[in-house]
Amino acid sequence: MLDEKIFEQHVAAWLGEEGSKKGEGEGLMSALDAIYASGPDAQRTLRAQEELCMKLAETRSPRLYYGVMQKTPIGPIFIVVGDRGVVAIEIGVKEAEFASRVGRKFKAVVVRSPERVAGVIKQLQEYFEGKRSSFKLNLYLDDLSHFQQQVLLATLDIPRGQITTYGEMARRLGKVQWARAVGQALARNPIPILIPCHRVLASDGSLHGYSGGRGIETKEQLLLLEGAL
Amino acid sequence: MSSTLNFDAVIERYSGEIFSYLWRILNGHEDAEDCLQEVFLRAYRAFNRLNQEANIRAWLYKIATNTSISFRKKRIRRESQELYVDDDLASPEPSPSDRTESKERLRILMQAINNLPNRQRSALMLRKYQELSYADISEILSCSQESARANVYQALKKLRSMVSEQLSSLE
Repeated sequence: MLDEKIFEQHVAAWLGEEGSKKGEGEGLMSALDAIYASGPDAQRTLRAQEELCMKLAETRSPRLYYGVMQKTPIGPIFIVVGDRGVVAIEIGVKEAEFASRVGRKFKAVVVRSPERVAGVIKQLQEYFEGKRSSFKLNLYLDDLSHFQQQVLLATLDIPRGQITTYGEMARRLGKVQWARAVGQALARNPIPILIPCHRVLASDGSLHGYSGGRGIETKEQLLLLEGAL
Repeated sequence: MSSTLNFDAVIERYSGEIFSYLWRILNGHEDAEDCLQEVFLRAYRAFNRLNQEANIRAWLYKIATNTSISFRKKRIRRESQELYVDDDLASPEPSPSDRTESKERLRILMQAINNLPNRQRSALMLRKYQELSYADISEILSCSQESARANVYQALKKLRSMVSEQLSSLE
């Protein structure tokens, strides 16, 4: 068994022997050094490290999947799902802007995947055909405030074909004075249609507002479709 | 979350030297960058299962050695053993008249290095240029320290005989 130092001396002696013959021993070592000693140049290393960090950031980011339902009475509907359910729905937007906006908002990599949203599209199809009155889907609302979650979930109790008012919603939540806050929470509904904020109107019966698609026009279309108007 | 933070430290500390190792093993080929990403992706996936006491440097070199060997195999299939000589690697010589000859010598040497068994090439680079101890090399190559030494020795011996054979056939 060779001690490390002795071994190195052996290798060196062997190389020296070759070198003394003006042969390839020393020449071999210096030729090896000529090829390998310097290593990659600093810029290339830096670039490789940057690419590595980008690649890893991509791997670590959560993934979201989206798909488009093109033909609907209210225009194209974009659906975003994650591993824990439906994350967002947007109506009548531009695909490129939509995907990058969703990516930024959720700090996620957004990938188009028709398969992942097929189940949601099927239920929406049935809804538009009048064959479905409620949706059986997991909704991801964890990023929202507790109050906004409460408001949005409360709208799920309003059946298809019926409407209510912001004031009535506030009263149901035990916060009579908070009709305006309810209105604001509904205006920022990330999953319209599935969370039927369109069924909530102003207390004078006016449609008030709708953030999806073409605004009030889309809200009216949905309520007409449901037979509420 | 702490493992994410720790892994960032691992990248910062070791990605440079691992890249230089891959660059050497892959002869400066452009797939060294892809290989680096593959090495750290593999490491990232296994990082949570890694023993706290583990020798992280040797562990990374082990992944790098295995990954670079599969990259070399893929490349050999792709390029049917055509030798890749990077201009960066064949450093310029001072005298133009010597240039052709010395380039030819380097080409012969690189061909010889390419023909070394994977373990011997890895052992040589780990010892001579990455400056790892034989204890680490034995861990990386999953062998005894004697065997790690023997691999370095055999690599040099084989290079010498392959290179002198080629050179004498030139003369």
